[in-house]
Amino acid sequence: MAKAVQLDTGKAPGAGANQKGGTTTKLKNLFSLLVCGSLLASTLAGCSGSSTAQNNTAASGGDDAVTIKVFSNLTDRTSGQGLIEQTIFDAYMAENPNVTIEVEALDDESYKTKFKAYATGGNMPDLVNIWCSPSFLDEVVAAGTLEPLNADDYADYGFTEGSLDGVTYDGQIYGLPRNTDVLGFYYNKDMFEANGVEVPTTWDELLEVAQVFQDAGISPISMDGQDKWPLAHFINCMIGTVKGADTYATMVNSVQNSDYSDPVWNDTISAAAEQASLLFQPGFETTDYATSLNLFVNGQSAMFFMGSWEMSMAPDFEVGYFTMPDFDGDGEGVIGAYNGGGYAVSFSSAVKEEAIALLNYMFEPENWSNLSWKNGVCMSAQDSTQYLTGNETALQNDIINALNNASGITGMTYNDLGDSAYKTLPEDSTAEVLSGMISVDDFFANLQNG
Amino acid sequence: MHKLYSNKLVIFSLVLPGLLTFLIAILAPIVLSVYYSLTDYSGLGAANFTGLANYAALVQDEVFWRALLNSVLLALGFICIQHPIAVLVAWKLDRLQGKAEGLLRCIYFLPNVISVAVIAYLWKFIYNPNFGLLQKVLELFGYEGSFNALGSGTAIWAVLVVLVWHGFGWGMLIYYTGIKNIDQVVYEAAALDGATSSQTFFRITLPMMKPVIKYNVTLAIISALKQMETVYLLTNGGPGNETQFMATYLYKQASGSYKYGYGNAISVVFIVICLAATVLMNKLFAERKEAV
Repeated sequence: MAKAVQLDTGKAPGAGANQKGGTTTKLKNLFSLLVCGSLLASTLAGCSGSSTAQNNTAASGGDDAVTIKVFSNLTDRTSGQGLIEQTIFDAYMAENPNVTIEVEALDDESYKTKFKAYATGGNMPDLVNIWCSPSFLDEVVAAGTLEPLNADDYADYGFTEGSLDGVTYDGQIYGLPRNTDVLGFYYNKDMFEANGVEVPTTWDELLEVAQVFQDAGISPISMDGQDKWPLAHFINCMIGTVKGADTYATMVNSVQNSDYSDPVWNDTISAAAEQASLLFQPGFETTDYATSLNLFVNGQSAMFFMGSWEMSMAPDFEVGYFTMPDFDGDGEGVIGAYNGGGYAVSFSSAVKEEAIALLNYMFEPENWSNLSWKNGVCMSAQDSTQYLTGNETALQNDIINALNNASGITGMTYNDLGDSAYKTLPEDSTAEVLSGMISVDDFFANLQNG
Repeated sequence: MHKLYSNKLVIFSLVLPGLLTFLIAILAPIVLSVYYSLTDYSGLGAANFTGLANYAALVQDEVFWRALLNSVLLALGFICIQHPIAVLVAWKLDRLQGKAEGLLRCIYFLPNVISVAVIAYLWKFIYNPNFGLLQKVLELFGYEGSFNALGSGTAIWAVLVVLVWHGFGWGMLIYYTGIKNIDQVVYEAAALDGATSSQTFFRITLPMMKPVIKYNVTLAIISALKQMETVYLLTNGGPGNETQFMATYLYKQASGSYKYGYGNAISVVFIVICLAATVLMNKLFAERKEAV
């Protein structure tokens, strides 16, 4: 482009010298140049706009000013976990006036798509949300996207036993888990009482309770089937009550070796597929998260199967919570729980130290752990017993009791134990078998054939 | 001014912005897409060259064929249901004249000014078997079960209804504009010759609308092939993969399953099908033009 301009500039004197062009020709050439110049300038300006903007941003900050970009999957910044996260960020900025925290928040699926775009483009924000499961982290860590963290920094942070396993690769931790998520049933106490049913402790009792509600014209369990992963959690919880402490090992073995010959698979999948229409609301396979939650909150279903992160719900009836009833009735088993979401620092971050400092600040026990529990939002992945106030809601007490009384937890579900390409296969297959679209045999054939 | 436009440098300058946009925003992504379709790239890390493995897998992928079939079904739905009704409504609107014409035109176009997300959730609620309008209407007629229109077996038809309904306004408006551009003198001459209403429609309106019909039908086919947002929000391709369309399946493979290379193979086939459909439509209408 510069060459074109130079060529024209060189021609003009020559044109005048050989008498072929007079004043008019010169004017035309000049006009042509102006037209070309303005077009090229506007094109180039469009191309270079971002770098100019970046320079301005850097210049406006001052010498010790630091901007930490946070990429979050907590879109609601005014309630729940988003509010806790924002509160901590605001406090950090108040304590460190030179730090500005810029938050970009997207919902889970959009977040994962953009996370990959950022990783591919090498311009990942400084502090990011992660999922502490192989299906999300394996490739992210292998690609060198995340900054390794110093485990010694967190020795006094009270992370519960095993909670850092999901973010540990070759003895090195790459992030911190946010919560301990317990999967179970929120139930409408008023509705249970009105229909004369008790909290079920076995699978058969759960079916009996479901039948009572079906007979009363009420959907027993509200289930988010469209997103599919809650269905996988449901199966995971069932398996937990059978395999107990061996649940996680069974899952890992099955996924890694494509071996689903352990009878627990066939037993649980068959039972769930057979009873899905009794247990769940009509059309559960096409009901999304918000609608399934609303069905419960609006009193159109007696129970809602979901994680403990919904503990802050406040419908106009009393809500209780129980974990998956014992499937095989032997009185043993573990509850469905795992450490799902978390945070990590980007390897390519230009403000790595500051981002790690912010991450460490977030997880100082008096911050995330304390605030999330006191506000009844969720349970952190850290020991929160010192923050029990005695003023917990009945729902909070139900959940904490379920965790305290459990002999163990299942850990990650089978859909999250393979690589990212594997994840959709078990989720799709679970949704299809529970909604009667494929047979149980087809379900296992799908998983075995990959 | 004429000489100015004959100046090659000026021509080059005028073409350059568009050319650059085409090269950077369209051609380069297509070339990259072809490259990545020949790899096992997951979106992160290294991309290993795998030749035509993704295309071989695509041929055997039942869901891909299902998505293609659904796209073809939708295109047929547009051409055979939406557009004939749109032409008739546009013609009738033109005959109405007066205030009713403007009012009805607005009403028919209304779904198009509503956000796709709102449309998707509106229909999702209508179809919901627990509290939806459809279920309540069926109950009024004595139906005692639960009818999940978005469930297995009926989902694709329920989705087609929404898409045909939602796109109706645009089609109708383009036909309406086409009809308005037909010289009234022709109609007056036909009336003087004693032509009936249907004769006017079939012998004057339709033949003179051919260019508009060609444009609209081509647009409908492309629109069916690249259908994404409404389906994604309405069913996300489910239940199972029953309502998977080309674009939603591409997105699912590339973003959900992290099979970026495979997703690109779908997108390359997608481009080829779109181009073939466009060429076919041009040829079809061109031949008919010659025949006339």
